[in-house]
Amino acid sequence: MTDRSGIPRTPRFALSRLVPLFQRDPMVAADPVTDKALIAVIAIMTFLAAMTAGAAQFTASTTSRWQVLMASEVTVQLKPQGSRPIETDIVRATDILRGTTGVSSVKVFSREESSKLLEPWLGSASAIESLPIPRLIAVRIDADQPPDMAALGKAVADSVPGASLDDHRNWTRRLSRISDLFLLVSLSALVLVLTATGLAIVFATRGAMAGNREIIEVLHFIGADDRYIATQFQRHFAVLGIRGGLIGGGAALILLLALRIAGSSSVGLLDANGLSGLALPGSEMMAATVLVIVLVGLVAGMASRITVYRTIGRLA
Amino acid sequence: MTLKKVESSLPTFAHRPLGELVRFENVGLRYGVGAETLTDVSFAIEPQSFQFLTGASGTGKTTLLRLIMQALKPTRGMIALFGQDTSQLDKEGLTSLRRRMGIVFQDFRLLDHLTTYENVALPLKVQGREEATYRAEVSELLNWVGLGDLMHVTPAVLSGGEKQRASIARALVAQPELLLADEPTGNVDPSLARRLLRLFVEMNRSGTAILIATHDLSLMDQIDGARRLVLADRRLHIESGHD
Ligand SMILES: Nc1ncnc2c1ncn2[C@@H]1O[C@H](COP(=O)(O)OP(=O)(O)O)[C@@H](O)[C@H]1O
Ligand SMILES: [Mg+2]
Repeated sequence: MTDRSGIPRTPRFALSRLVPLFQRDPMVAADPVTDKALIAVIAIMTFLAAMTAGAAQFTASTTSRWQVLMASEVTVQLKPQGSRPIETDIVRATDILRGTTGVSSVKVFSREESSKLLEPWLGSASAIESLPIPRLIAVRIDADQPPDMAALGKAVADSVPGASLDDHRNWTRRLSRISDLFLLVSLSALVLVLTATGLAIVFATRGAMAGNREIIEVLHFIGADDRYIATQFQRHFAVLGIRGGLIGGGAALILLLALRIAGSSSVGLLDANGLSGLALPGSEMMAATVLVIVLVGLVAGMASRITVYRTIGRLA
Repeated sequence: MTLKKVESSLPTFAHRPLGELVRFENVGLRYGVGAETLTDVSFAIEPQSFQFLTGASGTGKTTLLRLIMQALKPTRGMIALFGQDTSQLDKEGLTSLRRRMGIVFQDFRLLDHLTTYENVALPLKVQGREEATYRAEVSELLNWVGLGDLMHVTPAVLSGGEKQRASIARALVAQPELLLADEPTGNVDPSLARRLLRLFVEMNRSGTAILIATHDLSLMDQIDGARRLVLADRRLHIESGHD
């Protein structure tokens, strides 16, 4: 017998000794072309899902910041009531407001300031001097213990005719509806991506099983049960799913980070335009993307496992 | 690497329970719709026995082995393995029966993408054993069959005889009660055939019942007293071999 001890031993991939996930698939002889195509498809879908999730989260956190801003200040408007002395009404209204717990400060806009606010629409102050101009009271709310807005509004309106309290409720409600809608859209996108991933994996697993028919047969003969064989396929496809997910999710994360950097450098500009409180991609968004990647891997593994169990009887 | 060295390091097997390993009663097998390939086959294999299955090419030796390894179901008759009627077998039962037998396929059936070591260790691995618990055991066995230096190459690099020994080592590694070998000397020269036969004899001495399918008469003549199951004309005749 020839002694062939001179033959070099095949080097083992060092990482495989550290991380079980990266261990060489022991059983599944995979088709590298199919695997690459699958990784690409999963990467693209994960990217889209992560971007949608990013957009939803952006909307949600931006709107919730706006809601906080809006809720921290309400306005009381007094419409002039014929000959009633409006200054007395203003004093009465401010007294009620100041006497309410949860109101941190009250600022009355003078007649001049109120006119100034209307100037862009009505022209110079002198022209509107004679007009009955509604007066405004800006009320700062302590966000930690906000007063009952409905009761406060009623109290003001009852004791001061022509006074009304605007707590921006319509706006807040509309904003939260928009953010809910975005959330729904992004969840649907996620469900679609996971479904498509699952389907792609089902077909890939079937193909791989047909290609590995001989190997599966040998494994059965040497005492492997279906569970062992299913685990081999599951591991192979879970790793593919996670690789695709990492590529697509990673690309999405990089884009979100770029937006974050671009966004924070222009925050001053946004503030000047009164858009302060714009949410930037934050750690929650990163966490959501990582979650999407993990989910894709899980779905890929499970889809593969289930397919093996459903197909293996027909192979034997 | 000589066989003497091999024999001295042979592992000894645990005590085997008595009782037939294989029993065929009036087994018939027909492929498709034609005539029966095997008719009224009845025989039994005792623990720790040594026998040849012989007959001209095409008489059904491989078919009979495939019936034993549960790759085929008989068209009629009864097959019992390790005392169990195989017609009642579920998947788990089948798996546990297969873990008690080792198979040497005529075409080896080594997995091409695994190394010699990984191929030979596979029966232990699929039983869920940790590699640390069998690494030394497998290395020892590979040395025993003279493949110690070829542990980390894939089958593509191995010669026919080396593949043959790797497949024998794989069949043996889980210390089966029954070993089925289909033409295990079909692809090798006579001197290697003799060496391989001595491997089987050693395995038998350590407690494994052996069934070797072969049409090589000179091979069988090397083992005095081995029972012969002879296939001819679709039927099985038993020659006790003690005469
Ligand atoms: N899968 C099969 N389908 C149909 N006929 C088969 C099949 N396998 C074997 N045969 C036939 O059964 C007979 C016995 O074959 P086989 O068991 O391989 O014989 P041996 O191993 O003794 O050479 C042959 O006539 C062969 O043609
Ligand atoms: Mg044959």
